Amino acid sequence: MAEEFEPKIVAFLCKWCSSAGSDLAGVSRMEYPYNVVPITVMCSGSISPLYILSAFSRGADGVLVSGCHPGDCHYIKGNFYARRRIALINKLLDFIGLEPQRFQMSWVSAAEGTKYTEIIKDFVKELKPLGPQTKLGRDL
Amino acid sequence: MKRTGVFICHCGINIAGTVDVKKVAKELSNHTGVVHSEEYIYMCSDPGQNLIIEAIKENQLDSVVVACCSPTLHETTFRNTVKSAGINPFQCEIANIREQCSWVHKDMEKATEKAIKLTKSAVERVHRNESLDPISIPVTRRALVVGGGIAGIQSALDLANSGYEVILVERSPSIGGHMIQLSETFPTLDCSQCILTPKMVEVSKHPKIKLLTYSEIQDISGYVGNFKVKILKKPTYVDPDKCTLCDECTKVCPVVVPNEFDLGLTGRRAVYMPFPQAIPATYTLDIKSCPGLLPIACGKCADVCEPEAIDYDMKPEIVEEEVGAIIVATGFDLYDKELMAEYGHGKYADVLDGLQFERLCSASGPTTGKILRPSDHKEPKEVVFIQCVGSRDPELHCAYCSKICCMYTAKHAMLYKHHVPDGQAYIFYIDIRSGGKGYEEFVQRAVEEDGALYLRGKVSKIFEDKGKIKVWGVDTLSGKDIEIDADMVVLATAMRPSEGAEELAKKLKIALDKDGFLSEAHPKLRPVESVTPGMFLAGAAQAPKDIPEAVAQASGAAAKAIAILSQERLFHAPTVAKVNVNLCTGCGMCVHVCPYDSLSLKDGKAEVNEVLCEGCGTCSATCLRAAIEVKNLTPLQVNEMIGASLGG
Amino acid sequence: MVSLEDLKKEAKQILKENKVKYIIGYKKSTNGLMPVPAFIKEPEEVEKLVWDPTCVFNLTRYLVDEKRRKTKEKEPDERPVGLVVKGCDSRAINILLQEKFINREDVYLLGVSCENTGVLDEKKLTKKIKGEKVKKVEFDEKDNFIITTQEGKTKIPAKEILANRCLECKANFPVIYDVLLGEKAKRSIDNPFESIEKIESLSTEERWTFWKKQLDKCIRCYACRSVCPMCYCDECVADTISFAVTADTTAEEKAQKIKWVEKSPVSSENFIYHMVRAIHLAGRCIDCGECERACPLDIPLRFLNRKLEKEAKELFGFEAGFDPDQPSLISCFKDEDPEDFIR
Repeated sequence: MAEEFEPKIVAFLCKWCSSAGSDLAGVSRMEYPYNVVPITVMCSGSISPLYILSAFSRGADGVLVSGCHPGDCHYIKGNFYARRRIALINKLLDFIGLEPQRFQMSWVSAAEGTKYTEIIKDFVKELKPLGPQTKLGRDL
Repeated sequence: MKRTGVFICHCGINIAGTVDVKKVAKELSNHTGVVHSEEYIYMCSDPGQNLIIEAIKENQLDSVVVACCSPTLHETTFRNTVKSAGINPFQCEIANIREQCSWVHKDMEKATEKAIKLTKSAVERVHRNESLDPISIPVTRRALVVGGGIAGIQSALDLANSGYEVILVERSPSIGGHMIQLSETFPTLDCSQCILTPKMVEVSKHPKIKLLTYSEIQDISGYVGNFKVKILKKPTYVDPDKCTLCDECTKVCPVVVPNEFDLGLTGRRAVYMPFPQAIPATYTLDIKSCPGLLPIACGKCADVCEPEAIDYDMKPEIVEEEVGAIIVATGFDLYDKELMAEYGHGKYADVLDGLQFERLCSASGPTTGKILRPSDHKEPKEVVFIQCVGSRDPELHCAYCSKICCMYTAKHAMLYKHHVPDGQAYIFYIDIRSGGKGYEEFVQRAVEEDGALYLRGKVSKIFEDKGKIKVWGVDTLSGKDIEIDADMVVLATAMRPSEGAEELAKKLKIALDKDGFLSEAHPKLRPVESVTPGMFLAGAAQAPKDIPEAVAQASGAAAKAIAILSQERLFHAPTVAKVNVNLCTGCGMCVHVCPYDSLSLKDGKAEVNEVLCEGCGTCSATCLRAAIEVKNLTPLQVNEMIGASLGG
Repeated sequence: MVSLEDLKKEAKQILKENKVKYIIGYKKSTNGLMPVPAFIKEPEEVEKLVWDPTCVFNLTRYLVDEKRRKTKEKEPDERPVGLVVKGCDSRAINILLQEKFINREDVYLLGVSCENTGVLDEKKLTKKIKGEKVKKVEFDEKDNFIITTQEGKTKIPAKEILANRCLECKANFPVIYDVLLGEKAKRSIDNPFESIEKIESLSTEERWTFWKKQLDKCIRCYACRSVCPMCYCDECVADTISFAVTADTTAEEKAQKIKWVEKSPVSSENFIYHMVRAIHLAGRCIDCGECERACPLDIPLRFLNRKLEKEAKELFGFEAGFDPDQPSLISCFKDEDPEDFIR
């Protein structure tokens, strides 16, 4: 039997909420799939749509963007800009025919280790039946 | 090409138990640009740090990655370590292989694979890090305190007594806040005014405190250590220097409006002194209720004022101040009674909120300390107290607990019993939260000594019937329906952020939480700091709290402010935005999105004020020309990190 | 009706008065069907000007070249450039103003209203008239075009030969101008996003197949970018060609360049390129349709931009190019922006 497909996921986490939330998941020893490699950035507002496209282009099977809940942004309003920007790239990815499950966004606060864990678990579960992402992967 | 050293920490078995640290070290030693790679049991220990220092010297490293716990814990430690070995601290990055890897995975092979990716990602980042020096800024060694309640008063006094000048701004005509309205305070039952007025007087006499009452913050610019504040001083139309407090003006004033100090239980004139111990002790002419100044429609108060203290031509004044730190203590208001119509508040005269009941109990109150019904001035023999009115009701009202109501309701029941010994107090509650020194004992005393009858349950209906207020409810412990013919009902109404706090927060660029209270920088470790450097929080503006907590936070905020003011210069993280002027087209989109106003256009190009920039990078994601990026986390670095994270 | 004579009169006037340094408008081409840009400096030359539904180009693109030229000049001529703008073109002006690329006083706008019609799609018309030489194109105000060729007059329903963008245009009159010719006739369109909704109604895999077929055609000639008035960046982020790599460029400097997209015209890179372009035009594209017109491979590029235009309107109530003072789509937000896609 062939080995089960293990999706590769890049997660862009803001430093103050989502990365801290994932730290809390660690401190609380909550187990979750290892498929996600987090990249901590200062604020979800700093996540350019190009980062997301680059991740897909470099072979990511899924991309997660996570920031502070609205109103909780360490930088006051960065996540509001992120919400707009990411909504647009999300719609565009869907429009060109990328499976909608492959791109996700979440709000995870520093206190939501459990939520972070659940998001990762569900993300991996949803990606497994899809198989590898080849649509945008660099075919050079 | 850089010469990077990689150091993998076992953290005892915390990391090494799940991650094959030897394999990570070996794998990294083959990575481009890595000239040294080793693992050790505790990198943060002295021997661990020495090992890094030695390796730097031996291998002429110019950059370092430590794969260990979260950067929130030891980033500073290791940056200082590399600094002591002569490397710029910003040439050190952390790969979090504990919280984000070893602690959340079990399969060693997979966890090791992920730890390698995380470490390589950090290596790719550090390869493109610039050496940076902290940005130094001078400090204006004065403070601003917004809000003159107990929290603001305490902060102002602590700052002033430490030798710093303080500007205390209060919106209403007197300082004192809600505490001055209270009768007695739990759990000691000291008289609120008796313990507060000495502090108010101290404020008014303190040579280091500049008190601006009847004033509001109009605009704030600048940054930690160097804020510029514009304060609008509203005209009181009474010159406090000339006023002799003879009270002749109020006698002739024809206008009567509800008295805010007594929560509408009494009236006041258009020209008034808020309460006898008001600080500053002077009169204010309330322009909203006065029949008219321009042209003068009445003029009686000025006619009788012998010292000619009343000046109808007084104009609003803008006071500009420079300060280094700001404490926000804007306090609370009670939840709108309009929103609590189901309890008949505002509809029935004998349904009161907690603050109104405080005034009834207060010796300086409308009944001079006798508890009488507002409707007919009779002594109420049965009083129903209802807790959690608007609090802990996420569907309809506020989701949060207002924290002080359990205690003050017990106090109210007690005070009522002291005033009306043959009366009976009923208290509807969900549960009793009496955490605090002497608090539980206090509640027990209300039950045991003063016979307060606690009924666990919610009130279903309140209506007036034949001079009584009928209260229907359920006692969920006995399962019985309860009907009480009460003479008076007192509602423990939820606390909410004071009116205008939201607007002020916007001016100060302080975040609000979902309930509109000011957000602290960290719920546990930075409870008195706002997310904006140099701005601190005190009192109920941050969350519902009682007097001792407000005072403690106020002193904490003052200490935090002093930590800034006591320095001649401050240092600011140099990981700020930088503009590539060759690519910038001057569209101004970055200027628009910057949460800190740190960007501006100069000669058609964006320019960064490095002192204001917090390095969030929202500008960078907004810029279509890739003309602005945050130092040491540039799009190039992120792109390389993406590659490393995907194992490519 | 826009009178060509009025246009000429206005143009002559401003040239005579020295109000502008030159005027960019349209003139007959020597061989092709569609007119070409005219750069008119002298009052006598205004006779060359034409205005009819074949004037498809968005001339605002020339302001980009004009600005580049001007910044190089030592003593630049500070007079404005006169420019003939249709409804869509005028919205492009508003974007350039919004992004401070030009100042209002840099341009003198001769606004021409499309008055319930629009411009022709050259390819559609060529198909209809099968190689005949077109002498004149008129609009009969009854939703028909009257095409005069050497064979005589032909009446063709407007719907059949209008440019795709004009079929979906709801503001076919200038929104900013110094002189307005013709009327601000607002036309009613049942569903301006009909074509987008058709694609949206496909399944994910069908959409993918559609776009794969289209974008695989792309040869990365960058005509779409060159013709776009919003693509005025000196260095395109989606580009690794235009980096000035000289003999002095060190390997380290080369390593400091991000390669978001490879230049090879392979499927994956074409997708990324066009998506980057679309996302960078979100809230800025005013649907002048020039990218699609210029594309030699007939890739329906408008759909990508139009999709984001639709989302901007539906999600954020944002419409591009109507107000030069409003902030850009992605440099503002509302508290109530939708977040149902966020977990």
